[in-house]
Amino acid sequence: MILSQDSIRQIREKAARYPHAKSAILPALTIACRQVGHLNDDIYEEVAQVINVPFVEIAEAASFYTLFPKQPVGKYLIQVCHNISCALLGADALVEYLEQKLGIKKGETSADNLFTLITVECLGSCCTAPAMQINQDFYENLTREKVDHILDELRVRV
Amino acid sequence: MFYSPVITNASEVSDANGLHLFRYVEDAQQHRIEQYEQHGGYSALRKVLTSMTPEAVTEEVKKSGLRGRGGAGFPAGMKWGFVPKGSTKPRYLCCNADESEPGTCKDRVLMERDPHAVIEGMAIAAYAIGCHLMFIYIRGEFNHCIDRMEAAMAEAYARGHLGKNIYGAGYDLDMIVHTGGGAYICGEETALLNSLEGERGMSRIRPPFPAIEGLYACPTIVNNVETLAAVPHIINRGADWYRSLGTERSTGTKVFSLSGHVKRPGNYEVEMSFPLKRLIYDPAYGGGILGDKKLKGVIPGGASTPFLTPDMVDVKLDYESLAAVGSMLGSGAVIVFHEETCIVWVILKLIHFFRHESCGKCTPCREGTAWLEQIIGRIEHGQGKAGDIEMIEEICGNILGRTICPLGDAAVMPIQSAVKHWRDEWQHHIVHRKCQSPTTFAFA
Amino acid sequence: MSVTDDFCLRVNRTMTEATKQAATERAPAQTVSLTIDGRPVTVIRGTTVLEAAAQLGIHIPSFCWHPKLKPVGACRMCYVEIERFPKLQVSCATEATDGMVVLTDSDKVRQGRRAVLEFILVNHPLDCPTCDKGGECDLQNLTFAHGFDDSRFEFQKARFAGPGVTTTFDDLRIGPEIILNRNRCILCFKCVRANKEAFGEYDLGAYERGNSTEINAAPGHQVDNPFSGNLVEICPVGALTNTDWRYKIRVWLTKTTPSMDNFFSSGANILFYKEDHQNRVFRVTSRRNDEIDDGWLADVTRYGYQIVNSPERLVTPLIKKDGRLVPASWEEALQLVAQRFGDIKEKKGGVCIGGLAAPYLDNASLYSFARFFRTVIRCNNIDFRSDYRMLPDNPESQFSNLCSRPFRIADIDDSDVTVIFGSDLIREHPGEYLRLRKARNFGHPRIYSLTPYAVKSADVADRAIVYKPGTEELVINALCLAAAEQGLVDSSAAAQLKDKISSHTFAEATRRCGVSEADLLAVAGSLAEGRMVTFIVGEIVAQSKARETIATAIANLDHLLGLSRRGQVAVLARYANSKGAERLGLLPRPTEAIAKELAAIWGDFPDSPAYPTDAMAALMKKGELDGFFILGANPMMLYPDRAFMKEGLEKLDFLVVCDMFETETTALADVVLPLSSWAEFTGDYVNLEGRVQRAYQAVKPSGQSRPGFEIMTMLAEKFGEPLFESAESMAQEIERLLRLETTPKTPSEFAEVKVSEEANDDAYPIALFVVDDAHHSGHLTEKAPSLTSFAGEAYVEMSPDLAARMEIENGDAVRVEAESGRIIVPARISEHLNTDVILIPRNFSATPVTSLLSRKRRVDRVKLLKVDH
Repeated sequence: MILSQDSIRQIREKAARYPHAKSAILPALTIACRQVGHLNDDIYEEVAQVINVPFVEIAEAASFYTLFPKQPVGKYLIQVCHNISCALLGADALVEYLEQKLGIKKGETSADNLFTLITVECLGSCCTAPAMQINQDFYENLTREKVDHILDELRVRV
Repeated sequence: MFYSPVITNASEVSDANGLHLFRYVEDAQQHRIEQYEQHGGYSALRKVLTSMTPEAVTEEVKKSGLRGRGGAGFPAGMKWGFVPKGSTKPRYLCCNADESEPGTCKDRVLMERDPHAVIEGMAIAAYAIGCHLMFIYIRGEFNHCIDRMEAAMAEAYARGHLGKNIYGAGYDLDMIVHTGGGAYICGEETALLNSLEGERGMSRIRPPFPAIEGLYACPTIVNNVETLAAVPHIINRGADWYRSLGTERSTGTKVFSLSGHVKRPGNYEVEMSFPLKRLIYDPAYGGGILGDKKLKGVIPGGASTPFLTPDMVDVKLDYESLAAVGSMLGSGAVIVFHEETCIVWVILKLIHFFRHESCGKCTPCREGTAWLEQIIGRIEHGQGKAGDIEMIEEICGNILGRTICPLGDAAVMPIQSAVKHWRDEWQHHIVHRKCQSPTTFAFA
Repeated sequence: MSVTDDFCLRVNRTMTEATKQAATERAPAQTVSLTIDGRPVTVIRGTTVLEAAAQLGIHIPSFCWHPKLKPVGACRMCYVEIERFPKLQVSCATEATDGMVVLTDSDKVRQGRRAVLEFILVNHPLDCPTCDKGGECDLQNLTFAHGFDDSRFEFQKARFAGPGVTTTFDDLRIGPEIILNRNRCILCFKCVRANKEAFGEYDLGAYERGNSTEINAAPGHQVDNPFSGNLVEICPVGALTNTDWRYKIRVWLTKTTPSMDNFFSSGANILFYKEDHQNRVFRVTSRRNDEIDDGWLADVTRYGYQIVNSPERLVTPLIKKDGRLVPASWEEALQLVAQRFGDIKEKKGGVCIGGLAAPYLDNASLYSFARFFRTVIRCNNIDFRSDYRMLPDNPESQFSNLCSRPFRIADIDDSDVTVIFGSDLIREHPGEYLRLRKARNFGHPRIYSLTPYAVKSADVADRAIVYKPGTEELVINALCLAAAEQGLVDSSAAAQLKDKISSHTFAEATRRCGVSEADLLAVAGSLAEGRMVTFIVGEIVAQSKARETIATAIANLDHLLGLSRRGQVAVLARYANSKGAERLGLLPRPTEAIAKELAAIWGDFPDSPAYPTDAMAALMKKGELDGFFILGANPMMLYPDRAFMKEGLEKLDFLVVCDMFETETTALADVVLPLSSWAEFTGDYVNLEGRVQRAYQAVKPSGQSRPGFEIMTMLAEKFGEPLFESAESMAQEIERLLRLETTPKTPSEFAEVKVSEEANDDAYPIALFVVDDAHHSGHLTEKAPSLTSFAGEAYVEMSPDLAARMEIENGDAVRVEAESGRIIVPARISEHLNTDVILIPRNFSATPVTSLLSRKRRVDRVKLLKVDH
């Protein structure tokens, strides 16, 4: 099993609240993804068993939603919003700056497996642009200085 | 402190000016139930459950003229009234908190800073439609909102505002906080319902409308966060009070998310019919264009609404005024860009978004958005050809009004207006193989 | 036939399900009148604009619409213009309303459709020259009719590539038969919808989204469900093709012949695609008949035709010489048969000769077989049931009665309560399973499945109830008592019933059959309340030695609740012409009415003892039956006690076997005669409803093979006693029989039910059920390569729990041992099973599972041993 007992318990608890177990697919995938960091077919099989929904339904749903990485990612998944409000305030330059700071290109993971950098569509931080999400957390009103500070802190945390 | 550093105009709120949604959003304790109750919270729900019939609640909301704040602007009370009377099926309420339209970040503030207001509004709506299980569908990225709503829900259960026999009034209500998985389309109500059922978030053909056959094929009402957050105020202060704000057909107040090239981007609650120009330039709001540059254009209601040019910004922010100038109020996301912005670049950003978010069900949207992105990308990258503009217009025409859900329309309406307003600039881009305006925006 | 005519025919044959549902929900049916292209039309309320147009003969093109699936409005091809609607509307999902004014061919509509086609073609490879769908492709046809002559898309088309895609044409094998070409796919989602909605299968899905969406098998799985061939048939383009057909012939070089399925009893309507010069059938597709098949075919039906083309077909008569079967002429073979049977008849009498015919043969063959035995040989030893044990010889038995009850497949649609009792429905009646699933999708019936082991088909049921093997009559008794105790029937009936069921109480019965009281109370409640009830009794009951007891219990239930007055209660006929065999008097003792009619036709009816199949085998063993004639049957493989049957057949003086192939049974024969397949002559068949359907000759008989009726008439002539004056007289005789009113009376009193539980056997603790593999039926389908590509050898299916306890993994060799024999088969762990019951398919001659069976047992029991290497 890839899913931990704790994840399975959380998924079961969540699923039990819905009138139909299939509704628990997204919450279950969210819980699984928080534990593992990404999703794959093996995890879908396990989720399918836990909530008793056909495997293909899980695989289909998971592939539709972009929030869950389908490949392993670094310890910190940096998701930079590159949509219009952020782009008007330098999101493209922010991506370039991060590429340069991390020594990786968009879509890549750093050699130390610490950072993965991707761009995403609107994060809902339009009035606090530019913005990025790292794992569960939002970082907004970004400046070079802030980015430096954030990355330093994350490195220290390791 | 607050999770999100977004600027609001909470300080402006007073009984006199009728603003209400943002009254406590700068109060760092407001998310706690004690504080919410102290500020009069849940009194509307108590009033409804102990002294009003569901029909009376629906009637009051109908009378208030409250319209859906998610984008479509459909009268909320009327929607509730569509739930079939005699049906023995369970009914459901879903609060749409899948806020994903570029430029829009208003619901997030409400959930983060005043979550109980959302729950109270939901509970009142649930009672009005005879629902005993309600959902809030929050986009998966909004972890802080999810946490806040879950914590608030637990508090509300603990204090007897949710659960069995609420206030001893014999009404049971349960609530589930449901999280999305990253899909703009799930903000569309039928796609949201599919997603909530565990399906891929693809829109459903209507009829049947969700009010008749929605979640699990049962009558379901889907309302936006801001819409529902206004409901307790309407109950407390009356439909007449709400109607006294705004205009005949656009009543109440509205939160506008002002973003882009303005000095003070932020969320501002204003009375309906507030002047757009004032929102952009007044120091209490946008404070003018960044670097005091010249305004080039405004998207008034989120990335799916047609553009306004500088000569059109003397418009009032309400449903009918914006419609009169060929645009829409949408979700109230005002995106401003200045003279150094290339319109092709803007459109490429937008069409990339809509192509990425198309669910893939309807042929015109699925294929058309991808084709448009390729043509617009070619122009932006200096490889446009004569005839590309006409091709874009034709493709847009073949998508507009030809799909199940409004995503197709949303994708092409800004393009159509951008081509209409700045045709010369598109032409220039194709002929000279580059932007008329510099387009790189540095960040600080 | 033009595309339009074909389309309209398909639509018009009946309302679609959505319409029907709408119509019934708003009973009484109301109509609406509208105008389409200036022509008025009145339709039932709930009809879509697309269907209303079809009623006028107006073809509205579409890709994603399917009459048996819920409309989704995805492809946007079926646009129409409707007055007062500013936008084009999709006609497949727009309900026709009163006064509506519709245009289906305006400039705006044509522009809209052209635009959709252009969008579809943006990423379509346009590889028509190498595409097997060419000539019957909706996209090709519609582009031809509406499209551009040039694409305006100037970019690189999106191409699927990646793991598994190695050939030039991007073909991906996603199942034993199915090949997927994602580049050709236009994302109408019909395959995924049909698979889930209509078939209840989850081996195919749609992944990613937007213009990256792709259809594919469930990751790591194969599309190998028993209905998967339909996916190929409904694909509007060449995205899904199958090995069976592709690259073999162009469709326009073939001709079609209407025919019927020869493997299941509903008689699904099919088309043979044949090519005259090669005298070969190339494929089978559905010839939709909504009263029978809804346009769906089981894979067995779709691919089973391959046995017709098999190189292993018997092409000449064979005669045993020096212990070996050697080719002979028909003349020589028939002469020999006539002489030997003549000798036996003369010396010992016709009663020492017997015959067994297969229930998949046509009416003419079965009738001439019966007539030959009764009028030429002058005996009553004939039967068509080679796979049932301990057969009764009483034609008026409760069980026979239950078999002869009227049943209409389409009534499943309208039943609000359906009970499947003792049937692994998908394996026995795949078409009726789909029917039930459809009823569930479009209505709100209550469905219950009661079986001695968990079955996949119970997925349509509200409650899937598993009872202890061999306790059927207890289950039914418990249902009766549940109804009586709940006060669902009047008290005097309840008292009368309780008189007859005195050996146990409700609580006791439920305990003994291992079922929860609540479950049976629910079933009884629904049966009592149902407006229209369908009660399907399946093969598990029919095969049971206790079938008469069970049938008696069912008759009690029927009488108690008046089920037959509110619907249908019947044992469903099992094979393509079981019903015909029954109606044409192929039983040792036909019912009185049939016997009387036969006597009237023939002027005589033999007055001799009559023995069913296994009684005949017993006589063979005793040396009291010397000559035996088998027409198409294979008792060595199918009779549920192989040793017993073998001993009997080996003792015979003279055995004649007619078959399409060499089998274990032909191996024992003295004379083997090559039999034509149903594709090779025109014949009539009676489906389980009693509906007579004609299958036309598609190809010439293989080699020197002959249809059964020709063999029987030739043989009769050798006896100097021609069977019929002419083909017409034969047809008239058959018609007289089929016209007989055979509907038995519904039960009118309660009868005693003698519960006969069989004790467990500690030495052989596991109950064994012999089944058909989901991709096979009977003994012939292993000659169809497509079907063996799904399952080519026997296996033992067991629950994960049992496997875990025995430390058996998928594919491990397992020795299955019974008192009478043993076989070694690989294990297949099934997620459906959840009790200590094993299933072994009977369709593979290399592993004769019937060697484990004993005709005297009610429930066969075995022990398992993992074979260590």
